[in-house]
Amino acid sequence: MEMIERYVYAVTQLLPQSQREDIAKELRSLIEDMLDERVQDGKVTEKDVEEVLLELGEPRKLANKYRGTNRYLIGPELFDHYVMVLKIALIASSAVMGVSFIIGIILDPPSILQTFISFIISLVTGLPMAFGWTTFAFAVIQFAGNTHLKKKELQPKRSWKPSDLPPVPHPKGRVKRGEAITGIVFYIICIAVFVFSSEYFGVWFFENGKFKEVIPFFNEEYYGYYLLFILLIFGFGIIKECLKMVYGRWTMQLVLFTAVVNIISIIGLIFVIAEPAVWNPNFMTQLVESGQLVPHSDAFKTIGIIWEQATLWLLILFLFALVWDIIDGFIRVRKSR
Amino acid sequence: MSEANEHLDKLMQELRRGTLTIGVLSQLYEPQYGYSLVASLEEKDFHVEAGTLYPLLRRLEKQGLLESEWDTNETRPRKYYLLSDSGKVVFEQLVVEWKDMVNSLDNLLKNKGGS
Repeated sequence: MEMIERYVYAVTQLLPQSQREDIAKELRSLIEDMLDERVQDGKVTEKDVEEVLLELGEPRKLANKYRGTNRYLIGPELFDHYVMVLKIALIASSAVMGVSFIIGIILDPPSILQTFISFIISLVTGLPMAFGWTTFAFAVIQFAGNTHLKKKELQPKRSWKPSDLPPVPHPKGRVKRGEAITGIVFYIICIAVFVFSSEYFGVWFFENGKFKEVIPFFNEEYYGYYLLFILLIFGFGIIKECLKMVYGRWTMQLVLFTAVVNIISIIGLIFVIAEPAVWNPNFMTQLVESGQLVPHSDAFKTIGIIWEQATLWLLILFLFALVWDIIDGFIRVRKSR
Repeated sequence: MSEANEHLDKLMQELRRGTLTIGVLSQLYEPQYGYSLVASLEEKDFHVEAGTLYPLLRRLEKQGLLESEWDTNETRPRKYYLLSDSGKVVFEQLVVEWKDMVNSLDNLLKNKGGS
């Protein structure tokens, strides 16, 4: 009666460990009872077994009945948002990789094969990364939501009242879908650019209409170090935009989350930008070496000053944007009431 | 026609789901194991599939309406189910509710069409 064991195994395999043994025992006894009823003279054939198992139905369906509730990583109420963000993430990252592929071909036509191979590699590593992070972000939102709901259910006597209903937000307090999507696209493009095409950041030189070289802004040696910060900062940014879209309105919690994310980003930025090691230490020398700049000329001095000051101004610009983001959130929450 | 049948099937499933619990509880003042319950319900023209009944019994046990015990003395081990004390209380309440429902629905069906 190997078939019976196969059936019992197929059903219990889909059930929680703690119930498997008991259900297996009960199922076996049920199948034997059904066989007894079917076969009066005591000779059970393969065909009888098959008929009984057919009557019990597909193992998956039977297991579903035993389980009762459905379990999921991302629930139905989040699923639409999830699919949309996933589409955006995949499209945006493919677009960035496509563009960097095209740039690569234009810059260096002879090594098209090499460029193509690295394009394929970045697709194979990049798309699962986009998929994974999006799924992870939504699983976190779902998990947080679940624990929140459970806590609420545990509080006795706190039944829902119509007066609990939040007011319909003022149009200025609503999160515009387009805004959130733009934000997500922006962050994804930034991540993809930093991860896959850092070497294109810099001053480009052309000679006789042909590309010659790039003098990078960043210090290649320390790339891994600041890449981690950049990924974290933009990753949190994506979670922030997803939350905005899911909530659909500006709430105090959302602003608090924004504030926390932005403060972490600011600290991260100070580490990254203010750290001199991040910048290419030989930038000025390389400019001179490329023959574009004569040392100690006026142009040399001006560019030197700009290069020194750029860090500071960039930092101030970022700080301003992030702080404004928090203030803007507060204003919108107040307006939405 | 087949579409109408499909809808009817779904509605019947929903309708049966609730009544099945009442039917099952009603037979468990005496301990029974799953398959004997299928047979005794069948005898009384109340059809239920084993694949539906067994999960239901476990669920009712988990909710505390039924108690269970393995009997290993017979030819094969069988799990016997029996109404618990709270199960009896819930069942009696359910019967009252059910009769109310039947009455009011009968009333509706007699006066259908807004007359």
